[in-house]
Amino acid sequence: MNVISLVGPPNAGKTTLFNYLSGQNLKTVNYPGATVEYNSAKLQKKFGIDAQLIDTPGIVSLIPASLDEVVTVQGIYNNPEYGVPELIIVTVDSSQLSRHLLLVEELLESKFRIVVALTMIDILERKGFTVDCEKLSEKLGGVPVVKVDPRSGKGVDKLLDYAKKLLAEPFDADQIVPVNEDSKHLIELYKGIEKIEKDVILSKDKTVKTSSIRNSLHAPDELTLKIDKFLLSKGVGFFVFILIMVVMFASIFWLAAPLMNLVDQFFGLLASWTVELLGKSFITDFIADGVIAGLGAVSVFVPQIIILFLILGLLEDSGYLARGAMLIDRPLARIGLNGRSFVPLMSGFACAIPAIMSTRTIPNRRERLLTIFIIPLISCSARLPVYALLIAFLVPAGHALLSGAILAAIYISSITITIIAAGVINKVRGIIKAEDKSSFILELPTYKMPKLSVVWKNTWTSTKTYVRSAGLIILTFSIILWVLTFFPNYNPKIDAANLTPAQVEAQTQVARINGSYAAELGKIIEPAMVPLGLDWRVGVAVLTTFAAREVFVSSLALMFKITESKDDYSIQRSILKSMKNAVAEDGKPLFTTSTVIGLIIFFIIALQCISTMAISRKETGSWRIPLLQFAIYSGGAYILAVIAVNLLRAVGVS
Amino acid sequence: MRTASQLHNGETSEIVGVDLDHPSAKRLIELGFTPGQNIELIGKSIFNDPVAFSIRGTVVAVRKSEASCIKVR
Repeated sequence: MNVISLVGPPNAGKTTLFNYLSGQNLKTVNYPGATVEYNSAKLQKKFGIDAQLIDTPGIVSLIPASLDEVVTVQGIYNNPEYGVPELIIVTVDSSQLSRHLLLVEELLESKFRIVVALTMIDILERKGFTVDCEKLSEKLGGVPVVKVDPRSGKGVDKLLDYAKKLLAEPFDADQIVPVNEDSKHLIELYKGIEKIEKDVILSKDKTVKTSSIRNSLHAPDELTLKIDKFLLSKGVGFFVFILIMVVMFASIFWLAAPLMNLVDQFFGLLASWTVELLGKSFITDFIADGVIAGLGAVSVFVPQIIILFLILGLLEDSGYLARGAMLIDRPLARIGLNGRSFVPLMSGFACAIPAIMSTRTIPNRRERLLTIFIIPLISCSARLPVYALLIAFLVPAGHALLSGAILAAIYISSITITIIAAGVINKVRGIIKAEDKSSFILELPTYKMPKLSVVWKNTWTSTKTYVRSAGLIILTFSIILWVLTFFPNYNPKIDAANLTPAQVEAQTQVARINGSYAAELGKIIEPAMVPLGLDWRVGVAVLTTFAAREVFVSSLALMFKITESKDDYSIQRSILKSMKNAVAEDGKPLFTTSTVIGLIIFFIIALQCISTMAISRKETGSWRIPLLQFAIYSGGAYILAVIAVNLLRAVGVS
Repeated sequence: MRTASQLHNGETSEIVGVDLDHPSAKRLIELGFTPGQNIELIGKSIFNDPVAFSIRGTVVAVRKSEASCIKVR
């Protein structure tokens, strides 16, 4: 079987061609360098070539500048799975010929066997030009050049005819040589390309002078220039940027909230059906309180993640995201970050895991590490159910506006803390050890109408990845938590005389929890909870958040013995009821305004997510950064929470 | 000698050279900023930096400190 790689600059139609050839629909990105992984598929049978097709992320040159480019270039020279490709199909945007031929020249110098697929002929023709394919082929030393429309498949048969002919000849993988990285050599290559361009680009209108050809050929998309006049300007540009951010956050919260409620209620119902169906037994307890509660914890913020990825996808596909990165570069540079940190930081509002992975597009190592360092401070969606519960405790039902204001205040303080932390961590020597020359060079793609089908597919893939990677850890921890709270005292002896079955059940739960492993664990950390005005039960709930923060809600439910009534399946309402009834050992209420505010402060800052620490280790190469993140954020969160609780009490807030 | 970072909004000029000692020179050359090319400063960010150039039919955003390695007429 043959191996064919698809290589090309960003937005040259490479992925569309890959989809056409493989019959599989994949990502078409508009943000230069956004795909780090490569995709591969079999070439469709109908084309008559037995070949494995490899898609590679878009690159401008074979000389890598960032981590994801290093991966990409290595993958072109020698794919980790398929080795050196016998043939490379290079996509070249014919309306960008003078830039896109650089990659072709570099591939030829490295002695790859290539065919050139000229795309976007329609755009070139709309500008009033055409390309002489035969002449271009001749100038490139006989490399086949074919005009291809990857969307309709026009020209693909001809392209594959050439591919078939080349693949029939023997190919020696040892002939491949590394690319010449000398800057002067690059300038020479470009001089050659300019000569080629003059010869092969023909004006349809013979009366146009050759000198003016290049001017109109090298004019960027007119509509894009017009839009940028507004969107990059000081007044309108700033306003639109803020507006987009506000709309994004508003929709994450207000659109997602009802959906999250539905998911919450669905799993609540599922648990109670299980109990009804299977009757009271060990297996039932395990399924209802262990597995279903765990699955619920994973699923509850899927709506939020979908909405965030959907909006980010729309912004990316429209071309705005690169502008956003440009507009925010200066302020981010002030605190040691980069405009390219913008997208990872935004993704951090959904989940730190994909956010940390997406920092690979930042070429500068120091800025990349600093971005990874502060991402856990951004309030991810896992914290939302916790905030929602704690705010519901503080604010009486029916004051939606006040709840919204508190939530907004939480997010604003979280963003402020993130900014301050970045500035401080950047200044303190020895936290981020790498030094590197800072750089921001980013191609701004042409504006276009985003394709909903493409954006939706990407969103779905990202969401699936999240559910798979984070989901398993969350589920595992939910089950471990269940074991810890149910054993060893699974069947405590209760004196059932004079008690109703419901009372027996309630007392059984109390006895079970009090004699559980979790209680033993909790009592060890109780001294740390006392300054916060809380006890070991909340301590255990906080410990469980290392699986995932939103597990806090279901842990409280377990620790404070929620028995759901038949007509109220909302977990939140029943937890609130038992939180209000919970008392400390001295008989005073456990959850008060001050202790709940302390908890909120703790959750804003603390790093309490094992998956985040694991991914931070993987992406930074050692445990140093994740351990520092944990010590600084969780330690700081604890100290600030203790101060807040005691200050509030000192001024008379209960 | 002027550099690309000193261009005004909407001003077009021809590149006469690139300071090859600058760490960002290679990437800028790869993107097409080579001697003889015309570039136009088509926009500035809210804070005046980075700036966006039209080059060879596309738009590239560059920090001023990096654009300063591009010498223009």
